[in-house]
Amino acid sequence: MADLPLQQTAPSPVPPRVPHVPWLSRRYALELRQQLGWSQQLVIFVMSVLVGLLISGAILVAAGVSPQDILNEFVVQTLTDPQNLRAVLFQAAPMVMVGLAAALAFRARFWNLGLEGQMVCGAIGATFVSLHEIGPPALRLWLMAVCALLAGLVWVVTPVVMKLRLGINEIISSLMLNYVAVNFLLHLLYGSWKDPKDAFPYSAKFQPFERLPDFLDGFSSAIVLSAVVAVAVWWLVDKSRAGLYLRFVHSNQRVADAVGVPVRRMVLGTVLLSGALAGLAGFMVAAGQEGRLTQAFYNGYGFSGILIAFLARNNPLAASAVAVLVATLFVAGRSLQVFYQIPFSMVQLIQAILVICVASSDFFIRHRLRAVGSKG
Amino acid sequence: MPNALALSHIHKSFDGFMALADAHFTARWGEVHALLGENGAGKSSLMNIAAGLYAPESGQLLVDDNPVQLGGPRDAARHHIGMVHQHFKLVQPFTVAENILLGQVPDNDDVRSYRQRLTDVRNAILTKSQELQFEIDPDQPVARLSVAAQQRVEILKVLLAGARILILDEPTAVLTDQEAARLLQTSQALARQGAAVILVTHKMADVQCYADRVTVMRGGRTVATINPGAVHEAELVRLAVGETLPPPLAVPPHPGAARLVLRAMRSSSHDGPPALNGIDLSVHAGEIYGLAGVGGNGQTELAQAVMGVLSLQSGTMELAGFGDLCTASTMQRRDMGIAAIPADRYGLALVGGLSVAENFGIGQVHSGRYGRSWWLNHRRMAKDAEAAVQTFDIKGVRSIRQKAALLSGGNAQKLVIAREFSRELRMVLVHSPSRGLDVRATAQVHERLRAARDAGAAVLLISEDLDEVLALSDRIGVIVRGKIVAEFGVPADRQAIGQAMVAHG
Repeated sequence: MADLPLQQTAPSPVPPRVPHVPWLSRRYALELRQQLGWSQQLVIFVMSVLVGLLISGAILVAAGVSPQDILNEFVVQTLTDPQNLRAVLFQAAPMVMVGLAAALAFRARFWNLGLEGQMVCGAIGATFVSLHEIGPPALRLWLMAVCALLAGLVWVVTPVVMKLRLGINEIISSLMLNYVAVNFLLHLLYGSWKDPKDAFPYSAKFQPFERLPDFLDGFSSAIVLSAVVAVAVWWLVDKSRAGLYLRFVHSNQRVADAVGVPVRRMVLGTVLLSGALAGLAGFMVAAGQEGRLTQAFYNGYGFSGILIAFLARNNPLAASAVAVLVATLFVAGRSLQVFYQIPFSMVQLIQAILVICVASSDFFIRHRLRAVGSKG
Repeated sequence: MPNALALSHIHKSFDGFMALADAHFTARWGEVHALLGENGAGKSSLMNIAAGLYAPESGQLLVDDNPVQLGGPRDAARHHIGMVHQHFKLVQPFTVAENILLGQVPDNDDVRSYRQRLTDVRNAILTKSQELQFEIDPDQPVARLSVAAQQRVEILKVLLAGARILILDEPTAVLTDQEAARLLQTSQALARQGAAVILVTHKMADVQCYADRVTVMRGGRTVATINPGAVHEAELVRLAVGETLPPPLAVPPHPGAARLVLRAMRSSSHDGPPALNGIDLSVHAGEIYGLAGVGGNGQTELAQAVMGVLSLQSGTMELAGFGDLCTASTMQRRDMGIAAIPADRYGLALVGGLSVAENFGIGQVHSGRYGRSWWLNHRRMAKDAEAAVQTFDIKGVRSIRQKAALLSGGNAQKLVIAREFSRELRMVLVHSPSRGLDVRATAQVHERLRAARDAGAAVLLISEDLDEVLALSDRIGVIVRGKIVAEFGVPADRQAIGQAMVAHG
């Protein structure tokens, strides 16, 4: 069998031409993509959001809203009517904050499902400062914000330390602390913090200087604060050394540890920041929207935060944009509720459809279909 | 002898990269046919096409001179083609018998119950295992088996699935000398019984001793098919590499004072004996200490303990001038000038999903080279990474922003080395640095290690490849069951080291 001396095969430098085959009769193969430029990724992402919006639109039409009105409510009204735009930005401010909080925690691979509890604690912290009239009036608002930050941070300490020290699953521990926080809120609102002026379960009204001021024709300054925080978080994850460390922690904690990244410190710091931002969101709801401590946390902020972070791929700037989109949904959803008797859960349905569409778009970012010849 | 498998005019590209350009390959019944080439020559791609894993863009596949189209590994199994991959495809918690049952081609007319089939498979394993002298217990969970035994399970799996054309992808890369010799003898025996055995490899010695014919590939093309007995090893190297490499210059070492002293290192264990059972050794400045041993005797744990990702139960690791390393974080160890090149590249050294630049820059970002903590100088990092890609001859980097996962094994290793060696070093820890690397890349890696030694670093080389240990080391230790059982000066007696490696087992 060993009879071949040195048989060189001639190389052919030109790849063969694929003969033209009509579209439908081609055989397709599913291939893993090696890498995709960010512009192509963006196109796929936008397409998937559009598909989600189309499906949502179809459901709304089936529920009895005319297509004309959908366009009118969601797009025209929001963008042209300053009243509506105000409402959207008003709603968006705390959502940007929870979105950022979720994105940060997820970048550290920490599933912070306790955003709502941390928000509640932030609001309670801010109200504490207001009720006890701590500090001079000129500094009162700042003190409230700081106290809200700290309260949110404290509420996430238990799950993160339990995770780092004892390996306890943070999904359960942070989620369960939501119930503790909400029940504590109810305890305060029905108990010692109840507004003495009437019998409703909310705290006394904040003083005017304890409320986030409006500027320019009634736009809340909360959205400015949110924008500033969003840029700061973007700087942190994109431009700072900690951001590089965090990318390693996110991708592979074992490798991160081996190449000298202080993994535990990064996780601890990032998660505490996440809790603090959620606390600040609580402050915005109390001092920006309600003007007092109420039960306004049942809107599903925690879920929305997770959704925003997911849709934005944990990118802080994208999270801000998505938060505005989600806020638009909320505002438009409320008017649909009023004018068309469409339940508010429809808004949550639309959110879910968007999430599913974007999640499935991942498939097209990782794979592609390629014609490999005619059907055999 | 008639042709068993013939591949002709095969083209295959991945995302624009031409992996195979007009490749040819023919194996006959009854022969061991080696497929030789560097990393990225297209050997594995070509064989994955033969095994039905990849669909070629064009070209023809003949089994027994009949054209066939393979829709997947199942199709390949129906045509009696079976492949043992470099990374085993075994379900670790399952037993040997369950794994092999999974690999069987399903038959809709089969009316046997699962239990019955499992019993049949067990019997078949016992028979075949005895015939090949494999000593495999069908009821053992795969996770409990050594690498060599897992490989034998893989071979049994494809044989019991009916394979008569057996493709072994880099089978000796993970084996010791003795295990490799045994495996290659088994392949020869299978060929003598009439099967066609294809041996994908880049080890010249394996080819020369065991192959009946050899096909050499380079850059996605078939270069030649020859009789390995008819040519010299140097000629084979020239065909595979394209040029002959000059032999490395031997520089006599000037070892200095002890740099790293490991004492009574013991790792904790949940069941069975601890992986490290009292390691005592010292590495001097300006020397390469080679640690030889059969895989799985504590090498991985030793490397991880020195890196700082595994904590010890007892013992000390003194780095001259810095004291005990046990309490130092991985970051502090880097700051002390310790470089680590672990065996598990994507498990401990590189993040596949991040860019080449990030994977390079992480090594020095802590030193402040890329700006203070609040500002990361991306541009400088990119520039450094680009320079390192040039200096360390890392191929396949189209852009330094491309993901590290896209690099081939050898180039990924060069990236790790580039990162670790781009600073002043006191101590270098390397574990199996040339595993899966071709001749040229191995030579470059070895050159870097010698250069580090000559610059005064203490190099601890842990390798399961005895040739590598012999080629590089100034002193050689042998590790068996987590203990150093013997030490040798150079020139060392290969036989004596081999004896020490197995005698205490």
